Amino acid sequence: MEVLPWYIAGPLIGAMVPLLLFTREKQLGLSSSYRYLGSFVLPKNSYFNYQRVNDAWQIQFVIGIVCAAIAIFQLDLFSPEPIEFNEGDVLNLPNVYSVQNWLVFAIGGVLIGFGARYAGGCTAGHCIMGNSILSVASIISTCMFFAGGLIVSHFVLPYLFE
Amino acid sequence: MRNTITTILLGAIFGGVLIFSDAFNWYRIQEMFHFKSFHMFGLIGSAIFVAGVVTWVMKKAGVKSINKSTIQTKKKEIRPVGNTVGGFIFGAGWALTGACTAPVFILIGYQWQIGVVALLGALTGALLYGILNKKLAL
Repeated sequence: MEVLPWYIAGPLIGAMVPLLLFTREKQLGLSSSYRYLGSFVLPKNSYFNYQRVNDAWQIQFVIGIVCAAIAIFQLDLFSPEPIEFNEGDVLNLPNVYSVQNWLVFAIGGVLIGFGARYAGGCTAGHCIMGNSILSVASIISTCMFFAGGLIVSHFVLPYLFE
Repeated sequence: MRNTITTILLGAIFGGVLIFSDAFNWYRIQEMFHFKSFHMFGLIGSAIFVAGVVTWVMKKAGVKSINKSTIQTKKKEIRPVGNTVGGFIFGAGWALTGACTAPVFILIGYQWQIGVVALLGALTGALLYGILNKKLAL
């Protein structure tokens, strides 16, 4: 299937914000799901010892994401087309999702989990939800998400996949 | 029960759109960070625009939620160090994995070994934050 163009996909993603407010009175966000799950691992820690019931909806939301992903890929409804970078660019590596690259994803995962909780939100909570209501914390965070991503993508990845 | 089903459905739509628009794809994220395509910028930009306009109109018009409450939004508190340092760290992880929070869950369906590793990493990162929380500047 063709890639859904941005002018259809973007508005659909944006529509999640009013839909969640209307149906659940919740602000779109995803990284509190980590805090929710963490509260079962470290229940006595002061950060994780909290009213997790308020974040339970994010786990339901995440279950929806995982189910959609399993269904779509099992039924082979979508497979990404290769993207070409400049000749000789390390980003042209054939399959980044090869199991031998697990350490890159493990370390990247740790940075995502730590960074999202320290910043108080992720691309959903800050970049989409927060920016849409012009929250200053979200505007700062979004700029820094891009700063971190730019530096790693340009200056760190070439060494990792040489 | 109705709430749970609604939320799972919304999550499935959200995940589905991120998949069909290729936004979960590592190569697509690198393409964004190398400014080689407008796709991701258009996607994020139009999402923010639509979310902002529709939410603003709903609040102005006094639309009530399904449970008949007034719809309210709250801005997140500013954390000078958290937003900058934490944001930078998150961005670094975004580029390494080519995924942010939702796409990490999508990877479980796409390439489960890598998805599980990335998710366990993310949970470890959140646990680390919880442990260090009190020692970190706000």
